[in-house]
Amino acid sequence: MRGRRGKAVFLWTVVGFCIVTLSLPTLIIIGASFTAGEIIQFPPDGFSLRWYERLWNLDSFQDALWRSLYVSVICTVIAIPVGALAAIGTVRYRLRFRRTLQVYLLLPFTIPLVVSGIGLMLVFGEVRILGQLWPVGVALCVINLPFMIWAVGASVNSLDPELENAAANCGAAPVQVFLTVTLPAVTPGIITGGLLMFVLAFNEFLVSLFLVDSRIVTLPVQIYNNIRSVITPDLAAVSVVYILFAVVAVWLLDRIVGLEIFLRSR
Amino acid sequence: MARAGRQSYPLTWRLLDIAERAARLVWPRRWKRQVGYLMLTPAVLLVGLLAIGLGYMAEYSLHELDLSTYRLVEEYSLVNYQTIVDRPVYLRVFWRTLLAAILVTLFALALAFPYAYLMVRTSSARMRKFLLIALFLPFFIGQVVRAYGWLIVLGSEGLINTALGALGLPRLDLIYNYPSVIFGLTQYMLPFAVLMMVPAVAAIGEEVELASEGLGANWMQTFRHVVLPLARPGFIGAGIVVFTLSLTDFAMPEILGGGTSDFIASSIYDSFFQISNFGLGAAIAMVLVGIGSVLAAAMFILVGTGTLGMTGGGRDTGR
Amino acid sequence: MASKRFILPRRTFLQGSAGLAGTAALGTSALGTGMLARPMSALAQDKPEEIIVRVWGGAWGEAMRSGVADPFTEMTGINVRFDYTEDNEIRPRIWAAVDQGRVPPIHVNWDTSTNATISALRGVTVDLSDLPNLEGLLPLARPVGLEGYPLVNTYAYVYVCAYRPEAFPEGPPQSWRIMLEPRFRGRIALYDDGIGFNPIAVIAGGGTIDDIPDNMEAGWEFYRQLRENEPLLGEDPDFTTWFQNGEIDIACTISVNARAARQSGIDVEWTVPEEGCKVDTDGLWVPRGLPENEEYWAKQYVNFALSREAQAAWCSALGLPPVYPGLEPPEDLVGDPAYPTTEEDFARLVSIPSPVLVENQPIWFERFNEIFQG
Repeated sequence: MRGRRGKAVFLWTVVGFCIVTLSLPTLIIIGASFTAGEIIQFPPDGFSLRWYERLWNLDSFQDALWRSLYVSVICTVIAIPVGALAAIGTVRYRLRFRRTLQVYLLLPFTIPLVVSGIGLMLVFGEVRILGQLWPVGVALCVINLPFMIWAVGASVNSLDPELENAAANCGAAPVQVFLTVTLPAVTPGIITGGLLMFVLAFNEFLVSLFLVDSRIVTLPVQIYNNIRSVITPDLAAVSVVYILFAVVAVWLLDRIVGLEIFLRSR
Repeated sequence: MARAGRQSYPLTWRLLDIAERAARLVWPRRWKRQVGYLMLTPAVLLVGLLAIGLGYMAEYSLHELDLSTYRLVEEYSLVNYQTIVDRPVYLRVFWRTLLAAILVTLFALALAFPYAYLMVRTSSARMRKFLLIALFLPFFIGQVVRAYGWLIVLGSEGLINTALGALGLPRLDLIYNYPSVIFGLTQYMLPFAVLMMVPAVAAIGEEVELASEGLGANWMQTFRHVVLPLARPGFIGAGIVVFTLSLTDFAMPEILGGGTSDFIASSIYDSFFQISNFGLGAAIAMVLVGIGSVLAAAMFILVGTGTLGMTGGGRDTGR
Repeated sequence: MASKRFILPRRTFLQGSAGLAGTAALGTSALGTGMLARPMSALAQDKPEEIIVRVWGGAWGEAMRSGVADPFTEMTGINVRFDYTEDNEIRPRIWAAVDQGRVPPIHVNWDTSTNATISALRGVTVDLSDLPNLEGLLPLARPVGLEGYPLVNTYAYVYVCAYRPEAFPEGPPQSWRIMLEPRFRGRIALYDDGIGFNPIAVIAGGGTIDDIPDNMEAGWEFYRQLRENEPLLGEDPDFTTWFQNGEIDIACTISVNARAARQSGIDVEWTVPEEGCKVDTDGLWVPRGLPENEEYWAKQYVNFALSREAQAAWCSALGLPPVYPGLEPPEDLVGDPAYPTTEEDFARLVSIPSPVLVENQPIWFERFNEIFQG
């Protein structure tokens, strides 16, 4: 291949820059969380686990963590059927008002999160479901739905419709085709989308801020409220906890399906 | 599928037959063409929650605030929209936000494409995993914390300036300004952009590139004339996502901008929370949603949805 | 929000559509208990399990915890839970709850007097005139421009000039105009809505206190000049971070935050320059819509916060002059201009009545925004 070296140099420079900028804040925050001092600084002032200890002993931290997990699970569980059906529907079928639908389904991105939060607070308030945790999961699903639709849509796109025709030819009725051919084929997309939804829900605070109260506060909201007064290294410690979750989730995913799933669509 | 007698009719087939009949009851065969709409209904209803919220906003935006009772007056008026037009600050902030969204989109796309390409083309599975992990890990720690990480690096007594000081070089103002917001947003959007690009790049077979090389092109020409055009759906999908998310972003500009580079989402926040003028805040929000939707619609009409996947009507041909 | 005349058609539409959306509404979740409806037969003085008080975090919340909340729990057995949502962010939530006829998310709101006045004007506060501990408090406790006691002020505080002594070898800054000096370029901090400084800017810009609020031009001019010096705009945690990391030399911030920073080892001092500093009050109020017994105990909490022991403990932890007369200041604040007790102390400071602030703050905020965001 001509210019192979030039190409490699170009690619690796750009990618190297990306990796550095992506990882630098992460590494710094990890380092800063072990500080024995009072503030977030890097290199850390001494080495100590006191901030982790403080975090663990904080009752509200453990509760908030479980609530965040619960909310993220609800979000993912709703997102999977809704998003998968929507993706299959938009890609496979002829629809009128296609453009309107596309812009409509992009609303979660075009509406700023602050506005979504207030709007959902008013809607949920009207229906008297504020003050419970599962509506928060629904809300988080709504605001990140385009990601799920995209993820499954990518899978659907690469599914050859001829396969479904072939199954029908062999005598399978539509529901059977759907269950035995379509769904398994979009599974990679569903897994990708599901993980994405989970992560995004686990980290979301702007919309959650309006939908939780102090009895059902989720972890990101708690962190956000804490840093409105003073920023201490337990913020870094919490972030490291998040990173640990990430590592575990990624490792699990690799074990179960293989990380390559993000790169395939089929 | 020959039926080999009642006893050996598999349970799964029986269940499927029942499911089939149930589906026919609920959705008769003559509505077969409308199945697409059926599949979209849950998503439409869910996003409908936001649409209702937007309805509230539209209603609020048409009322002025009465400062003696802090309630919106009964009469309908366009005062709030007039305020947006009259006060130069809102137009300035709108323009600043729009410009930033465009810049962030361009930078993110420029960085995401090589990353996606490398991730797809590299032959080592370990390298692929490494790249994926490097991409995903920052995802998990959220905007606010990453912004604080950057404060430590770029601050006036941060890592970079300390290093420069040690070398005897003058300190740089790397933070609390507009460029630092652009930088912060770009690196935050990078994982989104790469994820959107990957399906498109993965769909380009390596043979195509080899063929181009075989015909005499060097790698730059191959990129320009073969790979980039074929990856267009990826660019479009990534571009739309990054653009709309940057346009409405709130946290990054507040933290990295030092308070003087606020985006329009901050103006909305301030209207709702600082001055409790729901009408004005709602009006700004409606304008923002309008601009975002119009630009997205324009993109969709001109170049399609790319890997955002909402093509409808069969195979995506990269329209 | 639309007033009564529009409630019927708007509500029908919105409830109809929201009802459609809510058809999937199932019962309560296992993990979220939220605001379950209390049995209506509860006696007015039945003790609730807990009451929720909105507080600011950091030193503020700790002071409230040790000075008021814990003693209250000891006395009554009712648990006090803190809600750390920002005052600005809880306001629309309370308003929406009252408008929609729901139970508000908190029982007691610890708020700035200006914010509290706004909520009082909107009619979402409960009247506190019948609290016994209101007797004998300094006149400062009375809300200005409102009838009765929709809120009660609990202490005064000053927006001081905090500075890094290292950057001022010649001694503490005598005048706010020092912020215009080129050596402080990029090293000045203000609250991002100009709060606490807007009136002072007028005086620093050459005007007088009588110019406020009708002729603020001297202040805007001062801001325009200050803009050239690239100040940083933010909130309390930003100031602390900036002082810690040596990003700023001078800031206009509340004395409590400067004192907390100093107590945690950061090198910061404060002073009241010749133009003066803004003095303001904070207060407590109870939102409407609470169940009868909870409202009763919320008012008891406020009453307790006005008692001698609570005021002494709470306000000395904060380092602020209380509305309860005759209490000794903490040792490190005796004679400090940021702890005004006598008339002369207050004469050096600039006090703007709440109604004026309520009316003008949005306008000032928009001008401030225009100048600094442009």
